[in-house]
Amino acid sequence: MKELLVELLMEDKTLIHVPFGNGFFDIAKSVVITWIVMAIVIIAVLLLTRDLKVHNISRRQAVLESCVLWLREAIGGMLGEEGAMYSDYMVTVLVFIGVSNMVGLFGVTPPTMDLNVTIALSVMSIILVEAAGIAKKGAKGWLKSFAEPMPVIAPMNVLELVIRPLSLCMRLFGNILGATVIMELIRSVVPIVLPAALSLYFDLFDGAIQAYVFCFLTSLYIKEAVE
Amino acid sequence: MLDISFVNIICTILNLLILYFVFKKFLFARVDEIIRQRQAEVDSATDAADKATDEARRTKKEYEEKISLADEEKEQILSDIKKQGYDEYDRIVNDAHRKGEQIITEARHNAKVEAERSKEVYAAELKSMVIEAATKIAATRHSSAEDSELYDKFIREAGALTDDH
Repeated sequence: MKELLVELLMEDKTLIHVPFGNGFFDIAKSVVITWIVMAIVIIAVLLLTRDLKVHNISRRQAVLESCVLWLREAIGGMLGEEGAMYSDYMVTVLVFIGVSNMVGLFGVTPPTMDLNVTIALSVMSIILVEAAGIAKKGAKGWLKSFAEPMPVIAPMNVLELVIRPLSLCMRLFGNILGATVIMELIRSVVPIVLPAALSLYFDLFDGAIQAYVFCFLTSLYIKEAVE
Repeated sequence: MLDISFVNIICTILNLLILYFVFKKFLFARVDEIIRQRQAEVDSATDAADKATDEARRTKKEYEEKISLADEEKEQILSDIKKQGYDEYDRIVNDAHRKGEQIITEARHNAKVEAERSKEVYAAELKSMVIEAATKIAATRHSSAEDSELYDKFIREAGALTDDH
């Protein structure tokens, strides 16, 4: 069991070795899997949005339209009226994390199990949150907002700049890692039937939940920033 | 698993941005365009329907006005006709009155003329009788008694004549 954990956590995740830079430019496996995920998602989007019509829509288009509107409305509801313009990015992130978490179904290591990917996601989130705040209140108003509701807690507010992305990144990473570890453990104990059933929970349900939680929290931060 | 690689973070961020732009350009833009077109069509159809409703309402009002005008006109014509009828009646009655009066006047006149004529006839008879009496008196010798008898006879005859008239 210990070997399993060591193998999971310490495995060499570098897939593409770049001959220069002493390993600095090496491309990790998670990034390559992300490319594959992206390729699949982009192809799906292109296929789904092919020759959309105003009238006599196909079932494919009806499903696509209602999905897009539903996702956007759900995210827009979390973002509030003022932050509704960021809903497109949040839907993208939701789809990306959701699909990434679910590739575990096909026996592939989810990209979100790599800390680098979750760090990138949370860095993007905190940049978006602060950019939204600056765009809404101006640089001066944004700086002033650190002293709210009272100047005493300004250090806390500054700390939040780090805490928020860190918690986002670690929550996603930890959940996916935990799920994968548990799945590996169960697979080593009960090799058949049970892993398939639990995989539905850990890969599909937990994957979707974590994608939702990530987007929900980021939306909440944005909403707070633009209020 | 736990080591952090700056290049991989940048790669992931780039991946995310690429995915975002693809989504924005090929998913949201396309779907929004379709929905916008549909909305525009619905809006124009609603506008057309509103316009048609307004038009119909206006036409209905016009017709109602016309109908009320026709009612007024009918009243006017009826009262005109009544007035004409009364006028005609008055005229006819007046005519009749006039004619009646004329007839009465004529009748009076005729009666007068007739009376004059019979008076003349009576006067002529009286004259001839006086002449006859005078002739008889002149022709015969007579006493005063006879004279008075003659006078009486004459007066009787004249009275009978007068009674006749």
